[in-house]
Amino acid sequence: MNITLNWLKNYIDFDFTAEQLAEKLTMLGVEVETIKQLGIAIDGVVVGKVISIRPHPNADKLVLCQVDIGKEDKLQIVCGAPNVRDGMVAPVATIGTELHSGVFIKSAKIRGEESYGMLCSEKELGISPDAAGLMELAPELSIGTPLAEALGLDDTVLELEITPNRPDCLSLIGVAREVRAETGNELRHPQIELNESDTETQGVTSVTIDDPELCPRYAARIIKDVKVGESPDWLKQRLESVGIAVINNIVDITNYVLMEYGQPLHAFDYHKLNENRIVVRRAAEGERITTLDEYERKLTPDMLVIADAEKPVAVAGVMGGHETEITDSTCDVLLESAYFSPSSIRSTAKTMGLNTEASYRFERGADPENVILALNRAAQLIAELAGGTICKGIVNVYPGKQEPIQIQLCPERVNFILGTELETTEIEQILSRLGFGIKMVQQEGLDQEAAPTEDNVFQVTVPSFRVDITREIDLIEEVARVYGYDNIPTTLPKGDIPVPVPNKLAEVRRRIKNFLLSSGMMEAINYSFVHPNCFEKIRLSEGNPLREALKLQNPLSPEMSILRSTLIPSLLNNAQHNHNHQINNIALFEISTVFVQDKEPTRVSGILAGEIGGGVYGNPYKHPDFFDIKGIAEGALEVCGITDYAFKLTDEPTFHPWRNAELLLDSKRIGILGEAHPEVLENYELPYKAYLFELDLNALTEAADFAKQFKPIPIYPSIQRDLAIVVDKEMQSDLPIDIIYSTGGKLVESVKLFDVYIGDQVPDGKKSLAYTIMYHSATETLTDKVVNDLHDKVIRKLNQELNAELRM
Amino acid sequence: MKKELEAIQAEVLQALKQINTQDQLESLRIEYFGRKGKLTDVMKGMGKLSKEERPIIGKLANEIRSSLSDAFEAAKTALDSKQQGQQLKAESVDITLPGRKPTLGKAHPVMQILQRIEEIFMQMGFQVVTGPEVETEHYNFDALNTPPDHPARDLHDTFYLTDGHLLRTHNSPVQIRAMENQQPPIRIIVPGKAYRVDYDVSHTPMFHQVEGLLVDRHVTFSELKGVLVSFARQMFGDQTQMRFRPHFFPFTEPSAEVDISCTVCQGKGCRSCGHTGWIEILGAGAVDPEVFRAVNYDPEEVTGFAFGMGVERIANLQFRIPDIRTFYENDLRFLNQF
Repeated sequence: MNITLNWLKNYIDFDFTAEQLAEKLTMLGVEVETIKQLGIAIDGVVVGKVISIRPHPNADKLVLCQVDIGKEDKLQIVCGAPNVRDGMVAPVATIGTELHSGVFIKSAKIRGEESYGMLCSEKELGISPDAAGLMELAPELSIGTPLAEALGLDDTVLELEITPNRPDCLSLIGVAREVRAETGNELRHPQIELNESDTETQGVTSVTIDDPELCPRYAARIIKDVKVGESPDWLKQRLESVGIAVINNIVDITNYVLMEYGQPLHAFDYHKLNENRIVVRRAAEGERITTLDEYERKLTPDMLVIADAEKPVAVAGVMGGHETEITDSTCDVLLESAYFSPSSIRSTAKTMGLNTEASYRFERGADPENVILALNRAAQLIAELAGGTICKGIVNVYPGKQEPIQIQLCPERVNFILGTELETTEIEQILSRLGFGIKMVQQEGLDQEAAPTEDNVFQVTVPSFRVDITREIDLIEEVARVYGYDNIPTTLPKGDIPVPVPNKLAEVRRRIKNFLLSSGMMEAINYSFVHPNCFEKIRLSEGNPLREALKLQNPLSPEMSILRSTLIPSLLNNAQHNHNHQINNIALFEISTVFVQDKEPTRVSGILAGEIGGGVYGNPYKHPDFFDIKGIAEGALEVCGITDYAFKLTDEPTFHPWRNAELLLDSKRIGILGEAHPEVLENYELPYKAYLFELDLNALTEAADFAKQFKPIPIYPSIQRDLAIVVDKEMQSDLPIDIIYSTGGKLVESVKLFDVYIGDQVPDGKKSLAYTIMYHSATETLTDKVVNDLHDKVIRKLNQELNAELRM
Repeated sequence: MKKELEAIQAEVLQALKQINTQDQLESLRIEYFGRKGKLTDVMKGMGKLSKEERPIIGKLANEIRSSLSDAFEAAKTALDSKQQGQQLKAESVDITLPGRKPTLGKAHPVMQILQRIEEIFMQMGFQVVTGPEVETEHYNFDALNTPPDHPARDLHDTFYLTDGHLLRTHNSPVQIRAMENQQPPIRIIVPGKAYRVDYDVSHTPMFHQVEGLLVDRHVTFSELKGVLVSFARQMFGDQTQMRFRPHFFPFTEPSAEVDISCTVCQGKGCRSCGHTGWIEILGAGAVDPEVFRAVNYDPEEVTGFAFGMGVERIANLQFRIPDIRTFYENDLRFLNQF
């Protein structure tokens, strides 16, 4: 909501500059978002009066004017405007002024005659496109005053952000009340005096409320014989300065009073109301109305409407009807001022997709006690500005009058909650400045042990405009904000620190993340939303439960319409994005929850593609392969202390059928990895291979074992034997390792595969595997004989079990 | 004989000066010290000397022999070190060639900031807890004193799922879950993702929040200020000023929006802070009694405070990324900068 400084000053006195006021309001919780100075473009332009005119000696179309701008010396100004005349009051741009158009005014000789300024048209000032002649100013304006001030344009607009709990601040008087809380200065309400005619309002209209729950109060006045037309300049300027469109004098007045009191009003053309009367009721099934914006709208029985004897003429509290609106031919006006139930207005406005100044206020909560004040104020202004006579009395139907809310406030509780040491008198003063009724009473019914209290508590009466205050804690906030949050002490918590509970998942997450970072992978974060086609793109099999993804009802776009059940498509998207930008060293991982049916497991996934490594002399890029991604997965498990895992080839269609594996832990799948299938690469427009893994962190957490135990450093030396065997090409290379360990028993310290060879040196269909075996005993130095015998036994066993030939 | 010895000494010392290689040195040694060497020959003539002369010449001969031997040793050492020097020179490298840096990954910038925030609060005794991102209306709104027709719901553009669930619009539901599962004292922070229907240069539909909650028998608003001021000083520097402005949240009362002095101009006012000198970083307040009632806590028995901050916003105070959607493109040229 916008307000202006000068307008606000109508209701309360204060000495603040706009910036100071903005600061005060902000620190009271009425945040000022912007401060905008009006009328800056006419700085340096003053009100001047032409006191004599004589012809220009050297030009037929120019004249020499003597102009009074309130100083002793009169200015000679050369002017060519057709309407310039003796005695005319017009704007004068003085020397040094830069006009709206960019023209800079300096003293000049025009056709040989000195000119010390410029008499201006509206166009030259940027006020309107009118360039026909000089702007004619009212003769009573004080000569020499700055034009902006003279025209009321020297104002400052403050843009306020009013929180939803403070509808009482959605008006000038409401903001003035906040200024009162700050300054203690008294409010100045508009003086309302009505000249009523003899015609009784009750005799010419009636109001029936069928649903008092949705409409607790409805009041109406009739103003006859109005002249609908343009509003006076001051009214138009006021509304325009706060961003409200100017329509006609009647509507402008209702908007002006809305801004003044925060009470939405509506004016009907009295003669277009069937039987000239008002019925407040729910809409009937199938009823329709064309609203002021000329849209025909469907009404439903949960909507409250204002109807005449036959049909709806307004959507209550939201928007008036087109048919009964004020037009140039309207002569009699029925003015509505009412209070509607906030939740009903809210639901109607939401259903219709309409958010009007009226619905905005009603749905947050207007002040039912404002209804008559605002109605009378508008009637007064209509009579003043649009002529017309006000019928006698008000039709005031008020079935839902509420008693004011009373709250007990314990002063000690204020200090208990805030950590302050406020005196009761300070609390009392703050609340009464805010308009609360307050008196000290003997406390009753409060549990003595529950909170520190004294014998006396305040009995606080909540004013009707403060719909947000219903509890003691609400009053405590009022005290806090007016006292100033900045004045509340700053202390550290005194209570006990709770005993922390270990979080194993977080530890697994941390270890794996550190491992991946040290492996050269960059951390990615992707949106949880993905395109439903991603399952096709990664060739997920038809029955895969990951396809049953959760769908958004209101997605931003199809690309973001389901919740991801796997991280793999996101990382492939990232690879594609980077490749499209010529970045081809792709090593990314992401750790995130995914959404699988009603569970949110945490996953880690990674991708290696293009060229990985340093890409510099001595550390060139290399193309990743299956064993890079496998090593990453193995490392991730090992940092969690998991060693007894197994790999098994799968038939997951996402992957190359012969270059993939699932990771098994106790024969349960805890992850998958491999080379992306060529079609997957094609779907993501990647011209090179990509290697992916995804692990289930929850399963890893279950198996993780961070406990470490000391093993004695070997005292006796180890003996190394290398072994190369020739086996069938298809044989798994981990089989010999198992046999070596089981044959060698405790004396085998470690076995490492250090070479794999397929080629001319071995027969077709065979491969050579070379291992380093370290033999070691914890209790003695092994002799060559012992080791040789054992090594021979290993060779024999490999030959028996795997038909392995020793390669010489 | 004395003269001969002295002549040999002079000859050898002179010759040593000319030596350039170990081979030359060895030849010289043989020439004088070898079995048929010149010095050996002279020494062999000792027998011919008189009884009186023998000890004198003998002593002289030993002295000369010893000093020459030292000279040879010195020459050898000098040659060794010269040779080593040449050898090392031959091993010279171009030290301007690039070093072989291990390729290290980098944590995502948002995660770097999130981790820092977690560390600061953990030092103050807050424990990290997490909760589901798919939530119910109850946990996301109702239990947080935001009933269906509450205007505050307008401030949350909520993503709904087709099954009636929603994506949490803030991390506050975890507060409720935590209070349901344990009794005070509670001192937790809740890092994680939240979602709102919003997509422009300063909003992403998914963002990260850190929510905090402290509940105990007597927690005051002044303690909320203390915790947040400590946080801000550690996060943004010792000189950081903090400002608490009254605000409205359905789940806290009194509520505050909290600003820090602008990190660019130190509060003097600049374009980054809209010339106010202040930058809003979080929302906070005392836990509303209605929230306590929703989890069956007695608001007469316990008080508490809660706060919530957007991690991207805080990250961007430091990084100044014009379009925060860049965070989630995962462009490696971007990720590599942090």
